[in-house]
Amino acid sequence: MATVTLNNVVKRFGAFEVVHGANIDVKDGEFVVFVGPSGCGKSTLLRMIAGLEDISGGEIAIGGKVVNDVEPADRGIAMVFQSYALYPHMTVEQNLSFGLRMTGNPKADTERRVKRAAGILRISELMDRRPRKLSGGQRQRVAIGRAIVREPQVFLFDEPLSNLDAELRVQMRIEIARLHKELGVTMIYVTHDQTEAMTLADRIVVLNAGNIEQIGAPLDLYDDPANRFVAGFVGSPKMNFMAAKVVATEKDVAVVELLNHSGARLRKSLSGAPPAVGADVVLGVRPEHFGEAGEGDCDIPVRADVAEHLGSVSYVYANAGPEELIIEREASRQRASGDHLVVSIKAGRSLLFDTSGARIR
Amino acid sequence: MSSLSAARLRRSIALHLFLTPLALIWLFPLWMMVVFSTMPDNGIFSPGIELLPHGNFIDNFNNLQRDTDFVGAIGISVSVAVTYTFLSVLLTSMAGWALARYQFFGKGVVVAIILGTITLPYAVVLIPQFIMVARDFKLANTWVALIVPPLFNSLGVLFMRQSFSMMPDDLFDAARVEGVKEWRIFLFVALPLARPMLAALAIILFLASWNNYLWPLLINSQPGSMTAPVALGTLIGLTKVSWGGIMAGAVMLTVPMLIVFVLLQRHFIAGIAAGAIK
Amino acid sequence: MRNRNATAYRFLTPYLLIFAVFWVWPIISSFLISFQATRTVPWRFAPAFNWGRLIGDPAFFNALKNTLLILVIQVPVMITLAMVMAVLLNSPLLKARGLFRFAFFAPVVVGEVAYSAVFRLMFNLNFGIINKLLNSVGLPSVDWFSNVTPAMALIMIAVTWRWAGYNAIILLAGMQSIPEDVYEAATLDRVSKLKQFFFITLPLLKPVVVFCLVLSIIGTMQLFTEPFLITERGGPGGGTETLGLLLYRQGFRSLNFGYASAVAYTMAGLAIAITLVQLWLTREKQ
Repeated sequence: MATVTLNNVVKRFGAFEVVHGANIDVKDGEFVVFVGPSGCGKSTLLRMIAGLEDISGGEIAIGGKVVNDVEPADRGIAMVFQSYALYPHMTVEQNLSFGLRMTGNPKADTERRVKRAAGILRISELMDRRPRKLSGGQRQRVAIGRAIVREPQVFLFDEPLSNLDAELRVQMRIEIARLHKELGVTMIYVTHDQTEAMTLADRIVVLNAGNIEQIGAPLDLYDDPANRFVAGFVGSPKMNFMAAKVVATEKDVAVVELLNHSGARLRKSLSGAPPAVGADVVLGVRPEHFGEAGEGDCDIPVRADVAEHLGSVSYVYANAGPEELIIEREASRQRASGDHLVVSIKAGRSLLFDTSGARIR
Repeated sequence: MSSLSAARLRRSIALHLFLTPLALIWLFPLWMMVVFSTMPDNGIFSPGIELLPHGNFIDNFNNLQRDTDFVGAIGISVSVAVTYTFLSVLLTSMAGWALARYQFFGKGVVVAIILGTITLPYAVVLIPQFIMVARDFKLANTWVALIVPPLFNSLGVLFMRQSFSMMPDDLFDAARVEGVKEWRIFLFVALPLARPMLAALAIILFLASWNNYLWPLLINSQPGSMTAPVALGTLIGLTKVSWGGIMAGAVMLTVPMLIVFVLLQRHFIAGIAAGAIK
Repeated sequence: MRNRNATAYRFLTPYLLIFAVFWVWPIISSFLISFQATRTVPWRFAPAFNWGRLIGDPAFFNALKNTLLILVIQVPVMITLAMVMAVLLNSPLLKARGLFRFAFFAPVVVGEVAYSAVFRLMFNLNFGIINKLLNSVGLPSVDWFSNVTPAMALIMIAVTWRWAGYNAIILLAGMQSIPEDVYEAATLDRVSKLKQFFFITLPLLKPVVVFCLVLSIIGTMQLFTEPFLITERGGPGGGTETLGLLLYRQGFRSLNFGYASAVAYTMAGLAIAITLVQLWLTREKQ
C-alpha cells in the first residue's frame, strides 16, 4: 500500500504539451478517479504513473519514492486495461501467471497467488479456457485478476468498463468497489463516465484539456463546483446554463436578470463582493433543482419540446429563446410536447459564473 | 425476377466460356511438363502430338541423375531453403517488431532506407556482392554464401512491421507493467500472435530461396555445391542430354511447391498480396 | 510510447548488419568500380573508361533497346491480363472458383529454370507441341528460336505466363479491400457493372495498379533467366539480349567488373526514374 504523489507533472509529445503541470496527492488506500472528456490527458497521466509514458517534466512518487526513471515493473503497480489486454493464445490460468512466470517468481508462490486471485474474482472454474471463450464480464474479471496476482501497492484502471454493456457495467462497478474494500489498497481509476466517477471515488480529479479543474469528494464537486466546466461535467443530465446580466448589487447580493426568460430576476446572495452592475454572467441550475411555479425565488415560463418519461422521473426538454433547458419533473407531472409550463428557480440551488467560466461565490 | 435471373445466367455462361479456355491455356505448360517428364526422349522428339502422360518417369529420372547429381542438389536446395527461411523470418520479424513498436533515434532513416531498397534493382549490388563473397571472404561454393546475403529482405520487414503494428498496444503494455523483458514479450506474446503472418512470410521466403537462380548460379557453380535449379540449368542447351530427364527434374522442383500451394493457398496469397501494403 | 533506443537497436542490429555488409557497401563499391579499368591488374582509376565505352557500345544499345521493347509491350499486356483475371475471379457468378484460381496462380510457384525448360521444349521448331498444334489447324510452323521477332514474342509470352497470376493476386486482394456497400449503392443508382469497374474499382485500385506496374517494370528490367535459358544466351545473335544478360556476360563471363557495374548503374538510374514517376503518379492531390 502506498501514496501516489504527482508534483507539477508535464507531458509533451514533441512540441505539443498535453498535460500542463499536474499536482495530485493520492492518500494511502484511497480510491481516486480521474475523469474528463476524451483527450483531456487523463489516460496519459495514468500511463505516466504506470511508467508506460516518459515524464516530460515534474516528479511522480509512489510510496514516497520518486519513480520517474523506474521501470513499470518495479513501481509496485498493476494495471487493468480498457481492452482487457488478455493474451489470446493463453488460457486464463496462463494469463494470470504469465508475468510471474516470466520474471522468475517461485512456482509455488505463483500458484498460491493465482489461486487466491481466482477465488476473489470467482473465476476458478474458467482457468483452462481461452479469452475467446469468455464473456465480456468474465474477461474483465480475468484482467482484474491479473492485476491482483501482482499484489501491487497501487492498482491502476484505464477505463476498464467502457467495453461492457450497461447492465454489466453496473455489476462490475459494484464488484470493483467491493474489491477496494476487501484489498484496502490505493486505486487510481480513469474514466470519461461521470456516473462511474461519482459512484466509485473517494475523491475525483476532474481534468480538462491537460489541466486539473478541481479535486474533491464526489458530493463536493456536485454541490460546490469550482467552475463552469466542473459544474457541467458532474451530474446527469447536465446542468443548465442561462445567460444573465447583473442589474443591481447590494452588499453580498447580486440581482441578475435572465436574458432569455422574459426578464425574470433573481436575488443571489454571495459570500464575497458581487460583480459590477452591467456585467455579463451565467446562471447554472441543475435539471433536478427546478421547482413548481411559485415554489422558488423566481419563475420562468417555458414551452416543452420533447418529454422523456423514464418511469421514476421525466425529463422535459424546453425551449426559451435560444436556450434549451432540461427540466426534471416527477413522473406524475408528465407533460406533453407543446405544453407551456412555468418553473421556478431557487437562489440557493443555483450557481453563478462569470463569462470566463469561473465561479462567483 | 425471372428476367433478372435469366440475365444473370447469360452473364454467368459468358464468364465461364471466356475463363475456361484461358485457364486451360494457363495450365497447359504445367501439364506438358508432367507429360514430357513421363515420355522417353524419342517420344518427345517425334512428329506425333502427345498430350497424355506415359510411364517413363523413373527412367527419365535415372537419366537426369546420370547427367548431374540431382538428388544431391535437391538436398542442398532443401537444407538451404529451410535454414534461410528460419533465419530470415527471425531477422525480418525482429526488425519489423522494432520498427512497429519502439520510438527510437534514427527510425525515420531506417524506414526510408528499407522503402528505398524495394525499388533498387538487385543488379546494382550483384557484382560487388559477388566479389566480396567470392574473393574477399572466400565463401564461394559454401552454404553461407547461399544463405546470408539474401537475408536482407525489405518486403518481409515491412510486412512484419505492418502485422505487429496492427496488434493492440495494451497487450504489450500489460506485459511491460508485469515486468516482462522486451525480448520475452517479443518471443512469447508477439510472435505467437503473429503466427498466420509468419506462416505467410515463411512460405514466400521458402519459395524465393527454392527457386532462386542467378545468385546461386554465380556463387555456387562447382558440382557438388550447386542448388537444384542451377544443376538443372547447366543441362539446358547441352547437346547430349536427356530432355525427359530435364523435365523429370523440373517436375521435382515444381510439383512439391504446387502441393504446398494447394494446401496453404490462403497463406500463400496473403504473403504475395502483402507486397501491396501501402 | 517510451523512447527505447537500446532495445530497438538490439532487435534491428542483425538485420542492419546484413544490410550494411551486403547492400550498403556493394552499392558504394559498385559505383566506384564503374569508374575503374578492371581488365588490368591492379585495377586503376579511369573515369571515362567504362562510361565512355558504354556510350559508344552497340551491344549496350542493343540490350537497352531489347529491354525497353519488352518493357513497353509485355508489362502493359500482362497487367491488363492480370486485371481481367482478377475482375473475373472476383465475380460472384463464378463457379469452381478454386480451380480457376489454381490455374492462374500456379505459375507463381514455378521456378524460372523449370518453366524455361518447358517453354524451350514446347516451342521447339520441329518437335514442339506448339508448332504441331499450329500445323494441325493448317498454320505453318514458326521458327521461334532463329528469328528475332518470334524469339522476342516467346520471351514476352513466357514472362507473361509466369507473372500475370502474381499480379492478379495483388490486384484481387486490392479489389476485395474495397467495401461491398460502395457497389451496392452504385447498383441501386443503376450504374452498370462496366461503369462500376471504370468509375469505382479502377480509381480506388490506382495505388495497387501502380505498385504492380513498378514491381513488374523493375522485374522486367532485370530480365535474365528467360533469355539466358529459353533463347540460349540472348539468341538469335543477340536478338533477345537484355541488360541483365549483358551485365552477366560482361561481369561473369568476361570478368569485366567495371563495365558490368556501369551497366548496373544504368539499370539503377532507370529504376530511380521509374520510382520518381510512380511517386508523381500517386501523389496526393491537394
